[in-house]
Amino acid sequence: MSTAGPALAGGCRWHRWRPAAPLWVLLPALVLLPLLVLLPGLSHGGGWSLVGQFALAALRPSLDPLVLSSALRGLGVTVGMALLGWALSLVLGLVLGVLSSRQVWRRCSGRLWPAELIRRLLALPRSIHELLWGLILLQLVGLQPAVAVLAIAIPFGALVARVLSDQLDALPSAGLEALEAAGVTPPAALLTALGPPLLPQLLSYGGYRLECALRSATLLGVFGLGGLGTELRLTLQSLAFRELWTGLWLLLAAMLLLEQLVGWLRRRWTMPARLSLSPQAASPHRHAAVNGNASGVGRGGRELVLAAALLLPVLVALAWGLEVDPRSLLRWQPLPPLPPADWGAVAALPWPTLVANTLSLTLLAAALAVGLAPLLLLLVRPWPLGRAAVLGLWALGRLWPPPLIALLLLFVLQPGVITGALALGLHNLGVLGRLLLESAEHRGESSEQALLSAGSGPRLALLYGRFSALARPYLAYGAYRADVILRESVVVGLVGATGLGSQLLEALSSFAVDELAALMLVYAALTLLGEDLSDRLRRRLLAG
Amino acid sequence: MPPALELQSVTVGGRQRPRLDGVSLRLDTGEIVALLGPSGAGKSTLLAVANGLLPPDKGSVHWQGEPVARSQRLRRRQQRRIGTLWQDLRLIEELSVQQNLNAGRLGQWGWPRALLNLLLPLESEPCAATLRRLDLDPALLDQPVSALSGGQRQRVALGRLLRQEPMLLLADEPLASLDPRLAGELLALLLAEGRAPRALLLSLHRPDLLAGFDRVVGLRAGRVQFDLPVGAVNPGLLAALYAGEAP
Repeated sequence: MSTAGPALAGGCRWHRWRPAAPLWVLLPALVLLPLLVLLPGLSHGGGWSLVGQFALAALRPSLDPLVLSSALRGLGVTVGMALLGWALSLVLGLVLGVLSSRQVWRRCSGRLWPAELIRRLLALPRSIHELLWGLILLQLVGLQPAVAVLAIAIPFGALVARVLSDQLDALPSAGLEALEAAGVTPPAALLTALGPPLLPQLLSYGGYRLECALRSATLLGVFGLGGLGTELRLTLQSLAFRELWTGLWLLLAAMLLLEQLVGWLRRRWTMPARLSLSPQAASPHRHAAVNGNASGVGRGGRELVLAAALLLPVLVALAWGLEVDPRSLLRWQPLPPLPPADWGAVAALPWPTLVANTLSLTLLAAALAVGLAPLLLLLVRPWPLGRAAVLGLWALGRLWPPPLIALLLLFVLQPGVITGALALGLHNLGVLGRLLLESAEHRGESSEQALLSAGSGPRLALLYGRFSALARPYLAYGAYRADVILRESVVVGLVGATGLGSQLLEALSSFAVDELAALMLVYAALTLLGEDLSDRLRRRLLAG
Repeated sequence: MPPALELQSVTVGGRQRPRLDGVSLRLDTGEIVALLGPSGAGKSTLLAVANGLLPPDKGSVHWQGEPVARSQRLRRRQQRRIGTLWQDLRLIEELSVQQNLNAGRLGQWGWPRALLNLLLPLESEPCAATLRRLDLDPALLDQPVSALSGGQRQRVALGRLLRQEPMLLLADEPLASLDPRLAGELLALLLAEGRAPRALLLSLHRPDLLAGFDRVVGLRAGRVQFDLPVGAVNPGLLAALYAGEAP
């Protein structure tokens, strides 16, 4: 058995160069090298004193009762819009998700084409960012509280529908066939066989979407749709940093509270963690095997019904308090006289540059977010204080809407793709970093311990022990996030020259409907293409 | 020569139900000692204390005559001389056999070598020699460990331990989930590697495998029940050790 292996016989070892799993996690961070080279050239020299004032103001937020009450009112509106938009998106997603499931149509009517058709139709609302929905609705019906709610509900609803129908179709159908064979009607069989395994995943995803909704509602505010976001932008632009931090700290408190609540419910109702995005890992059967707790299901079910029953009056009260009137959405305001469409001018737009800029912005931001999170975690591993500082930085990154980060960066940097990418990257770093930390708690712990007990340093033990196990699911989530970033790239359009995003915002504000339509179509096509690519990459990574 | 390992009155856990209760144990260089005891006796806890993963609540631990260092850096240096073979092996599934073997060197290596090993596995010749010593084909070096059979995985885990070049070998029930043939082979390898200049402390569940050991320590409910040369361990002692549970 012990013979010299062929792999060692040859002198050339170069064919063995292949980065191993823990390195994959760090490779995206290489983007820092060109960035560090380019950044000094992007700096416009001024503004550092403003950044200093901004940072100092974090320690001295304004406690003026007027400022506080205004920020609290703004936060109330933002949270209200987020909750209403989220609830509406769940209802829309549930209905549309069931309607676009192949499994449902196959069982109920034997035909598949309606599912395919609805799926394709839903691709458009999904691919357009909530900000664009918000701005379009704003043009049509004017500033109404209902605008932000609907702007969140449309794309989120379409996203929930897609996730729901994908999961419905991926569930094993053995239980369903057994029920049908026993003469149960298709709708009842579907509900009985697929409902229970689907519910934990749907709840987990719903919780995640609520966190997204809060971020989106803040973002919509930044663009003038009301709530705390509007206050944040106004205070930033008038350089009233202490007032700005009053709002930011309040928003941070609200966001952390929400994250804790969602995390607590997720654990209490034994829902799958968010990193389990793989079809296998997210399988409800595997989940049940891991968390198999029959008594927990009954208790969780009762609590769930109770929570839903409590939520309903809260939502009605919120809608009442915020004066959200759905009828107002039907009262379209007269548009200014529009010039005739000029498709020649639309065709003359620098399309290749616009698309290339959008793609480079997306890739740069995604690489920054995906690569920096593990790198920072690795750097601060031995120091608890450093770890706390990084966690704080991530929380601020998550909370701070990307356009506000972009505006802040404009104090010291010139507008452009890199500035936009930095803003988006830092925001998504907060999202990804938290996720990485959550999942690092559960994976690779024993390997890390084994290395530590053999005298490895804490950083190397983390790299070899935990990052090996985390690499595939983390990068798969990173691929999904890149897809989100592409869709989000429109929101940093306001720093200019960021590709399709800035062009779109320009077209919107100048009522250039022809240009707007063309840009939106290209954007949607690009997003759908990105979604497809990211799905393929994700599947490949998870299939291992 | 100072003992390879010395525990003095080690206690772990609360007063109500301590996991280890005043355990003292000495392991001289070249000694091969078996740790016997029923489930829950505290064998794994004792090994975790012995390799420095779990600091005791009371009592002291000495390695090669030195107390466990307070500073993390010095303690890591001490731990490099202590190798543990875990029951669940704790191999890194995503890495190749060679990278796993080299994980035993991480305590000695700095960052550049550790990173390079993830790009182009290093020290092929010493790794191949380790595999040959364990009667494995060096052609396995490039294989991911997830592709290996159960017996091969056991040997690779032992290989990682040998690459670490420890002076004290600890093994936590390494034979528990193996069939009799594999268990016999692995035990023979461990007994061969555990001799001077090393020392070996191995916890196990099977009194029928005690033949190659020098001493046997019986642990029950966190206390040392007996500490005797292997020839002095009789069925009566074993019956008392496992009272209420089949060995």
